[in-house]
Amino acid sequence: MNQTVVTYLAQYEFFDFLLKIFGQNTSLLAFLIFFLIAAVIVGIMATVGGLGTYAERKISADIQMRMGPNRVGPYGILQFLADGVKMMTKEDIMPKDADKFLFYLAPMLCLVGVFATLAVVPFSAGFTMTDLNVGVFYLIAISSLVGVGVFLGGYASNSKWSMLGGMRGASQIISYEIPVTLSILAITLLAGGMGFGTIIGRQEGLPTNWYIFHNPFAFIGFFVYFIGAMAETNRAPFDLPEAESELVSGYHTEYTGMRFGFFALAEYIEVFVVCGVAVALFLGGFNLPFHLEIDILPIQAVQFGIFFSKTLALYYVIIWARWTFPRLRVDQLMSVCWKYLTPIAIFNLIGCAVWLVVFNGHSIADLIFGSH
Amino acid sequence: MFHQILFLMSAALTLICAVAVLVTKNMMHSCIFLLGSLLGIAGLYATLGADFVAVSQIMVYVGGVVILMLFAVMLTGGKDFVSKAQNLLGLAPSMGNKWTFSIAGLVAVVFGLTSFLLINNVTKVVTIKTQNDEFVSTVNQLGHLLVKNHVLAFEISSVLLLGALVGAAIIARPKRQ
Repeated sequence: MNQTVVTYLAQYEFFDFLLKIFGQNTSLLAFLIFFLIAAVIVGIMATVGGLGTYAERKISADIQMRMGPNRVGPYGILQFLADGVKMMTKEDIMPKDADKFLFYLAPMLCLVGVFATLAVVPFSAGFTMTDLNVGVFYLIAISSLVGVGVFLGGYASNSKWSMLGGMRGASQIISYEIPVTLSILAITLLAGGMGFGTIIGRQEGLPTNWYIFHNPFAFIGFFVYFIGAMAETNRAPFDLPEAESELVSGYHTEYTGMRFGFFALAEYIEVFVVCGVAVALFLGGFNLPFHLEIDILPIQAVQFGIFFSKTLALYYVIIWARWTFPRLRVDQLMSVCWKYLTPIAIFNLIGCAVWLVVFNGHSIADLIFGSH
Repeated sequence: MFHQILFLMSAALTLICAVAVLVTKNMMHSCIFLLGSLLGIAGLYATLGADFVAVSQIMVYVGGVVILMLFAVMLTGGKDFVSKAQNLLGLAPSMGNKWTFSIAGLVAVVFGLTSFLLINNVTKVVTIKTQNDEFVSTVNQLGHLLVKNHVLAFEISSVLLLGALVGAAIIARPKRQ
């Protein structure tokens, strides 16, 4: 596993050519490459977020036996571009008594928190921006900026609907962080490291090596993580912060135009990121089902495709859940988190630790088929 | 050089936001500037090679403390509340005049320079360490130290935190009739 995308690119021949141009100034070169790759990843992710809104509308239409958007482009696939143009040209309205500074800051915080997580999301073995040793921990930590953004969006609008939505959002996000973090902790225990490179490297090979099938506790842990992640991204059935039937539109009621677009984009990209983390931690990440000695660019593209297909499959499940389940009440939301998910996650964590000691780190498949 | 630029940017963020916390009158804005300052401190840790501490800083302060402070400020009145209720603005003239303020400023400068001289050696060590371009993960070392050499301190602090948690739960519990 490569440390950063720059060290990955450094093994190719064209990198020597770049080194000649820049001479001794390697840190500038590294900065420029990071800047370029970051711009590419942000562009890809913004497109994925935009297509997420399209997918949401199309899938919901499918579930409710409607047509969905079908006017702009073939099958309406350019609808998200039309929406983007509409949002950018809309008038930017701010409530009269709003807190101007915080009102401008809140959507930015949401977007920054989500985009900062992309630095460690493992798209493929080479094109991970950086494989931090504390990767998963960094991702959990920096994505809590989204909670601050949601809360400030609710507070700054100076409207009671926004306020209720923001408070619900912040309390929900900090509550559900606990079961999510505990289930991630169980996986870091199994992998012996917090970096995505370490975790994915241990799941190499057939799906029986994936951590979801490593032991029963990790299997339950996946679902705890998935439910908690759904709640952390404010998706239905946990979309209380923006419950449209009771709070108009929750914390972004007063936002118009592109500021509203930022909230929506942040939400859809965050859904992609949490699905990607689920794939990397439990479903084997970008690993091919067999081992390859050579490392060439087409392999990277295949790994990219594997990661994206697994992640988008989970993305589909999240959208599917939104249009299938009714919304929880606030008290049900909190009891799900504190009375069910948190104890189960603690039980899983202890169970994984005991499993590691008792079976010497072997997975179920190892014990049954007797490999190694 | 790149590390130094990042270090200086983090330091500037920390200092500017810290001053802004003091200068701002709106308490919600102060909280947000505090958030910026704490992020800057996380950046300082990261550039000095303490990756785990940097991320813990973000996790604890941004994810927990600042959100709780925002809640607390919002529920207790928010902007302009304290200064009006306790008449702090009215108190300000009685607290001193320009002479006392300038003497206090002089004392602060002298005290600051003296303490800077005292910690001068410490900063030298730090600059030597930043020139190590190779980051070594501190997570393993931290883990080993915590459960081997410093296990007593670790356990005592965890018991303390558990006590605080139980105490908070008891205080927040609705009283039985």
